[in-house]
Amino acid sequence: MIGNRSNIQTFHASTEHPIPIILDGDPGHDDAIAWVLARSRPELRILCATSVCGNQTIEKTTYNAGRIMALLGMDVPLAMGLPKPLFRDPIIADTVHGKTGLDGPDLPEPVRTPVPYSAAELMARCLKESDEPVVIVPTGPLTNVASLLLLYPELKSKIRHISLMGGGIARGNWTPAAEFNILVDPDAAKIVFDSDIPITMAGLDVTEQALVYPEDFERIRHVGNDVALVVAGWLEFFYHFHQALGYPGAPVHDAVAVTALVRPDILSGKDLYVQVETTGEFCRGATVGDINRVSGKPANAYCLKDIDRVAFVDLLVEAVNYFG
Amino acid sequence: MTEKYMKPDIDTKRIPLFIDCDTGVDDAMALLCAAKMNSFDLIGVAAVAGNVGLENTLPNTLNVLALAGRTDVPVYKGADKPLARPLVTAPHVHGLNGLGGVELDPSPRKAESEPAWDGLYNAAIQYENLVLVAVGPLTNVAKAFIKYRDLPKRLSKIVIMGGAAVGGNRTPSAEFNVITDPEAADVVFNSGIPVVMCGLDVTLKAYLTEAELDELAELGTPQAIFSYQSQQNALRYELSLGLPGICLHDPAALFFAEDESMFTARKAGIRVETRGLVTSGKTVTDLDSDKKMPYREHRVVLDIDREAFRGRLFALMRKYCIP
Repeated sequence: MIGNRSNIQTFHASTEHPIPIILDGDPGHDDAIAWVLARSRPELRILCATSVCGNQTIEKTTYNAGRIMALLGMDVPLAMGLPKPLFRDPIIADTVHGKTGLDGPDLPEPVRTPVPYSAAELMARCLKESDEPVVIVPTGPLTNVASLLLLYPELKSKIRHISLMGGGIARGNWTPAAEFNILVDPDAAKIVFDSDIPITMAGLDVTEQALVYPEDFERIRHVGNDVALVVAGWLEFFYHFHQALGYPGAPVHDAVAVTALVRPDILSGKDLYVQVETTGEFCRGATVGDINRVSGKPANAYCLKDIDRVAFVDLLVEAVNYFG
Repeated sequence: MTEKYMKPDIDTKRIPLFIDCDTGVDDAMALLCAAKMNSFDLIGVAAVAGNVGLENTLPNTLNVLALAGRTDVPVYKGADKPLARPLVTAPHVHGLNGLGGVELDPSPRKAESEPAWDGLYNAAIQYENLVLVAVGPLTNVAKAFIKYRDLPKRLSKIVIMGGAAVGGNRTPSAEFNVITDPEAADVVFNSGIPVVMCGLDVTLKAYLTEAELDELAELGTPQAIFSYQSQQNALRYELSLGLPGICLHDPAALFFAEDESMFTARKAGIRVETRGLVTSGKTVTDLDSDKKMPYREHRVVLDIDREAFRGRLFALMRKYCIP
């Protein structure tokens, strides 16, 4: 079951030849853990980070991004994303991530100030400067990525792949049909899914199984360094919301989008043609997967479905170990 | 005593059944099966436009019931188009006449003078434990619910063939019956009574392989030979899609109404998308979502014991071997 082959995600990262990546997120507890994982992996070379409004307002997610980068010693440019989705008003998830968007443990203040230009421009600069195509890892609404594609269509060939957390083929979370990241900016998501850039979709189908249990928090805390203690604190905060919904652990959604790049062997899924619904009574923000192949269209996304949960937790423990 | 207890040749233990269909090759199979079920008393059938136009589904319904030897069953003429959209049919699956090109002898019986919605309502007044199995677009049922506000609560059970929790067969997100008349389907799901949704999640697993359809023909009865011949076109079409055989969507819904034990179903909220650009006709469920719908007494049928299904189908079709 685990470790199926995809015709869409064909590459894998290696220590000898690290893959350049751009982190784009709305941190957010699970974004933060995704960035911890990315920072810990020698197979990944982080070019820059961009914030997006989603879990909280753009001011708060940008501040959180800066604080996480300070904690992780991530010395790359950070750009603040757009203050709202492309064509709509923001929706925030303060019930999940708290008033700051990253409630829980104390964090160091940001070291670097955001660059004085847009997230799309920072991404564009990094793509232009990179010798080889770049993988973008969006873990929030797709506003910045869509802006990049709208403003710099000529740079599409420099985007090797998009490994994103968002959507769900069989389920939603914020509405019965839609997952939060896609629901917040469905127009942006449509631009990304229709772009012909190969996509790995870490949607709710897989991320709801990427559960870190309370006993795993202790394994992480036991590692003992500053990052480990903070990650354990984030997990506890994040679990608190999900526990009330009946979850046995904290679903660390966003870290699956990074896992797909470094440990594809612990994941499995299916190549599907995916469309994004931008309107409707019940389906706005739904990611429709053509599971019965009735469209005649070629697959545009490798849709993850299953994860080896224990290996995923081991990967997170290994990640915090990296920080000494 | 009410009229139902005075009916001479009806076992009063049988549950009264009303079928609404757009006959249709798999509808025809459902009618042939329903005609032989001891647990049900088939007290009425209504035809609706869907797989093909009403000018075909109505005579097909009459003629299939005649083939089943059930000219005693009243047949009602229903809607010739969806509530709010033009009709789009599926002749590439069901053939131009809806029966895969097979011409049946015309039934001596004619359609009743009252329309389908009146026929259904009168049946629900007459039989207090009426079961409705609706296996076409839900236009007739919605019209009945709109005309008679007390009708939904008078039905003891509604099982529909339509929709899917995930996927579609007409579009990536929509199943044929529901996308044909999404407004009607939403009227039914939003009527405040529980509906069993027997959709593609289960009906794509309720198939006969080509060899099993051959085996059905070997029963040799006119009904078996009709079943074989009428489904050849649909079989070729479904094999071309990579399916393992011919899906008997509509019999699956009928069998669920008769005996749930061969199925797996889960409670859920269900509404129908009527306005989406790529999701029009999608049956939205809250099966696994954190966000639940206010009304969640519907059931989504998700799995079937295919061997049991095939066994039941053959047992019913074998009854035609007994003169």
